[in-house]
Amino acid sequence: MSDKIAVQVDDLTVAYNYKPVLWDIDLEIPEGVLMAIVGPNGAGKSTLIKSILGILKPIAGSVSIYGKSYDKQRSLVAYVPQKGSVDWDFPTTALDVVMMGTYGSLGWIKRPRQKQKKAALEALEKVGMLPFKNRQISQLSGGQQQRIFLARALVQDASIYFMDEPFQGVDATTEIAIINILKELRKAGKTVIVVHHDLQTVPEYFDWVTFLNVKKIATGPVKDIFNDDNLTKTYGINYKVSIQE
Amino acid sequence: MSNAQIEIQLIASLVAIACAIPGTFLVLRKMAMISDAISHSILPGIVVGFFITHDLGSPILILLATLAGVVTVVLVEYIQKTGLVKEDTAIGLVFPALFSIGVILIKKNADDIHLDVDAVLLGELAYAPFDRLLVSGVDLGPKSLWIVGAILMITIILLFAFFKELKLSTFDKGLAASLGFSPVIIHYGLMTVSSITTVGAFDAVGAILVVALMIAPAATAYLLTTDLKKMLFLSIVFGVFSAISGYWFAHWLDASIAGSITTMLGVLFLLVYLFAPNKGVIAVLYREKQQRTEVSLLTFLLHLKNHDEERERHVNHLNEHINWQKVRSKTVLELALKNNMIIIDNNIVSLTSKGDEFTTQAIDYIITNEDAQIEDMKDDFFLFRG
Repeated sequence: MSDKIAVQVDDLTVAYNYKPVLWDIDLEIPEGVLMAIVGPNGAGKSTLIKSILGILKPIAGSVSIYGKSYDKQRSLVAYVPQKGSVDWDFPTTALDVVMMGTYGSLGWIKRPRQKQKKAALEALEKVGMLPFKNRQISQLSGGQQQRIFLARALVQDASIYFMDEPFQGVDATTEIAIINILKELRKAGKTVIVVHHDLQTVPEYFDWVTFLNVKKIATGPVKDIFNDDNLTKTYGINYKVSIQE
Repeated sequence: MSNAQIEIQLIASLVAIACAIPGTFLVLRKMAMISDAISHSILPGIVVGFFITHDLGSPILILLATLAGVVTVVLVEYIQKTGLVKEDTAIGLVFPALFSIGVILIKKNADDIHLDVDAVLLGELAYAPFDRLLVSGVDLGPKSLWIVGAILMITIILLFAFFKELKLSTFDKGLAASLGFSPVIIHYGLMTVSSITTVGAFDAVGAILVVALMIAPAATAYLLTTDLKKMLFLSIVFGVFSAISGYWFAHWLDASIAGSITTMLGVLFLLVYLFAPNKGVIAVLYREKQQRTEVSLLTFLLHLKNHDEERERHVNHLNEHINWQKVRSKTVLELALKNNMIIIDNNIVSLTSKGDEFTTQAIDYIITNEDAQIEDMKDDFFLFRG
């Protein structure tokens, strides 16, 4: 972790049909952290990521990536959407999906060539999915699909990675494989931001955490702020009881 | 074949190709119904355009009608965004309203105008060769051929230029947006092309049957391939095949060409729906039957693995014991024997080492659900193909 701020969010408010789902969020994410965003369902975790990436338009506030607007810094950012957000029956192969990660650097109209294909194959190798490169994506298990999504983000060779619930519906082996890759990314100085559901694994996987529930509750190093007090503030009373079950 | 016959088939084929391309993306985007909406609501655009130009092939008319198509999409999305009704309801609200405006306009001015509702809805391909494009007295062929040809050229150029963008935004809108390929621009681009194609095709096949030409070839191709490029190619092939075979079917029956083309599309879909190698009804039924047998096989092998006592492993005992009919027991025994998984010695069944290993692996897979270890088994057994 360095002193640089990778992502800065100021006074961000986002609403669906005039009903705010994120309210006045201020957030500074330092470069080189592996950060979890936690909060109950409907807390606006995915919305926060989507607003940072310009997929949703906020009604107030601003976002900067290394001091500049997202539009200017697009090439520094990779995004892994929720697995359920796409139609896995789409007629395409694993390799082709990973290639989509290279489209951003290509820009409009230009087509992927050997160089992009090579990068995609390397990314597939990294997530252990090379033997499945020509498999139609609906023929992959949930964990394999998630690895394909991860490979697609890796191929972007970004500085900041946003991931929306990468551990949802994956088997234990895949979960370990994914977290190892995320830790490698952090080691390489990248910033990784993950919407996360499983509170139990937060201290083990992450070094930074943001508690979110429509408003920002707390953000900082896991060892300092991952405590019952913040959990209770985020999830409501008596959180301690349910986490220990 | 006469010249007119060739011209009609050529027009029908070009229309089919021009429809199949946007149609493929509409099907993948689950927006088949929007093509229905567009095809109806271009009517007021056509009527107003016809008032102004008195020429069904005029570019102004095509432009106005295309605009009406895009307005439909905008209105549908606007109503949907209010969150008060769902998309299908929004479609059902918008296009009849626009269509009825067109119908009223035609009826009000029926005396001055030779544009009847039948022609708009059903088209009349048979008359297409009569309306020629004449440039300083030289006959350059039927006007519709030029119109449809021009629209097809535009569609193909756009497809080649923006194939990557179309694929990405159709598969993953979120990623497209985050990479800077505005899904909104691509969406409206596709909607505009769909509208232009509909306008260009309506003259030939009519507003209703355009929908069939957009959706049916793509839906048929979808059952046959898992590759987007192949799907596009197959859609085009099916479209052209239906256009030409439909023409001859109509010729033979002395019936509507548009109706016959659509019938062919329907027949083609039905055949593929039944006989497609993976997704077809027969293939699915066969697979389910195989899976049932394989589950039985596994149950049987597991039973053998768990029991050393001879009385539990007697051939005749199995019927009663695992509670199977004779036929099923026989099928399972034969399958196991064929795969060298068991040996039968004096009516006593025992596992071979291969059978033993297979059972262990299969049970492991069922418990852990880990795919990688059974890759080699997937080719032989349906059960493990997800």
